[in-house]
Amino acid sequence: MIQFKDVGLVYPNGTEGLKNVNVTINDGEFVVIVGLSGAGKSTFIRSINRLVTPTKGSLLVDNEDILSYRSGELRKLRTKVGMIFQNYNLVKRSNVLKNVLAGRLGHTGTLRSILNLYKKEDVGLAYESLQRVNISEKIYNRADELSGGQQQRVSIARVLTQKPGYILADEPVASLDPPTSHQVMSYLKKINKEDNITTIVNLHFIDMAMEYADRIIGMRAGEVVFDGPVSEVNEKTFEEIYGRSIREDDLRGGADES
Amino acid sequence: MKSYTLPPKPEKSLFKKLKAILIVVILAAIYVWTFLGIDIDWARAIDRIANNFARVIPNLFSPDWSATADVSLSILETVLIAFAGSLMAAILAIPLGFLAAQNMTGSRILTTIGKWILSAVRAFPDIILAILFVVAVGPNAFAGVLAIAIGSTGMLGKLYSEVIESIDMKVVEAMEANGANKIQILFYAVIPQIIPEFLSYAIYRFEVDIRASSILGIVGAGGIGTMIIFAANNRNWNEMGLILLAIIIVVTIIDFISARIRRKIV
Repeated sequence: MIQFKDVGLVYPNGTEGLKNVNVTINDGEFVVIVGLSGAGKSTFIRSINRLVTPTKGSLLVDNEDILSYRSGELRKLRTKVGMIFQNYNLVKRSNVLKNVLAGRLGHTGTLRSILNLYKKEDVGLAYESLQRVNISEKIYNRADELSGGQQQRVSIARVLTQKPGYILADEPVASLDPPTSHQVMSYLKKINKEDNITTIVNLHFIDMAMEYADRIIGMRAGEVVFDGPVSEVNEKTFEEIYGRSIREDDLRGGADES
Repeated sequence: MKSYTLPPKPEKSLFKKLKAILIVVILAAIYVWTFLGIDIDWARAIDRIANNFARVIPNLFSPDWSATADVSLSILETVLIAFAGSLMAAILAIPLGFLAAQNMTGSRILTTIGKWILSAVRAFPDIILAILFVVAVGPNAFAGVLAIAIGSTGMLGKLYSEVIESIDMKVVEAMEANGANKIQILFYAVIPQIIPEFLSYAIYRFEVDIRASSILGIVGAGGIGTMIIFAANNRNWNEMGLILLAIIIVVTIIDFISARIRRKIV
């Protein structure tokens, strides 16, 4: 369970990233955060694994306040909170297997990982994760030989290999075309259901949010302006969240193609 | 025909114009003053140059093949000095490169110290370092190796630190986000991104060091330079011809191989 209690964050340059955020995310939920760029979606998500540190309030992950964590505890937290990025963030010159095994780093001793001495079950887990996102045949290809969608699937496999309790995805489909976007979102959804991993995704496409989310949180200017199950959401809600009418480019489209 | 509207000319203040004129005048004055200061008897100088050329140049083109064995050994020593020196430098430069890279230390003070160390090392020309080491360890090849090693460390460290600063830090962030510690991040996110460039620069530096080490013998630090200075002092231009030929061949071969390898690894 993740609990935001009165969380605020002011960046050193004075920008307010988060303002009085009070949100509770239950285990196994698939939450989509929507909002315009600059609304604080990334800040929200990055607070949960402390890539950014809120300056106010308290943030509880599994009933422990993570805001006071220092390096050792922080690494433990990050081991159980996996993250997927917009630009995949793979090591382009390393092969797929090595990238996926990097997901085990938090669980592996330093010396073991430097010498590439992974346990058999870790390598097995990595391979299994690649199979789950249907890319196991590329295991020895270099990451830069893959297409964007394939790279994002590898980064999902990396997170799976980490065996996290939570997955954070920061605009995972913003650099992909519509069919590939749906593919990636479907994998995330499938993993969420099969492994019961709490998943929090940032999106700015309304139709995708509606299609995959259990629950939608709307943000504007660092504040949570909407929070509710997807059944309560309609176009009107989005217009309120965005503070303007809905336009063509707020939609990803392509749902039928995939 | 269509008429164009040209953009307005950038405004130049009177001060700027005057400054430009002033700079030109001062530069011209310096040149004139310098050339007036040269006291050369041009007729005699040209005569001597022509004379020396006629004596030296033909001899350079008829190399003394009997010295082949000596020259070969000497040039081999030169290559080995360069190799040992640049290998040492390639390794010594790694910690310094990391120290001087802003994104690795995360501390302005450490980075500045690193950059200062590298600048200080770079400030010495190879030949000065060679003189120092000849004094320190005696007139032999080891002095040459040390001179090359120190000289190259300064430049390689600087290049390494720039490579490190240009890596994709998002990969580092991704590793941080899955709970990797600093050393794991180094091995999984940083090193794969820098290895090819590091190798490439090290090989390039070896190429440069071949040239440097052929000159170091002049101050007694081993290699072909020693033969050059003897040949020149003895006016043995035929042997000099062979030495130059050997240097040209070796440098060309090494340049060719190095370019090949470097194209492969990046």
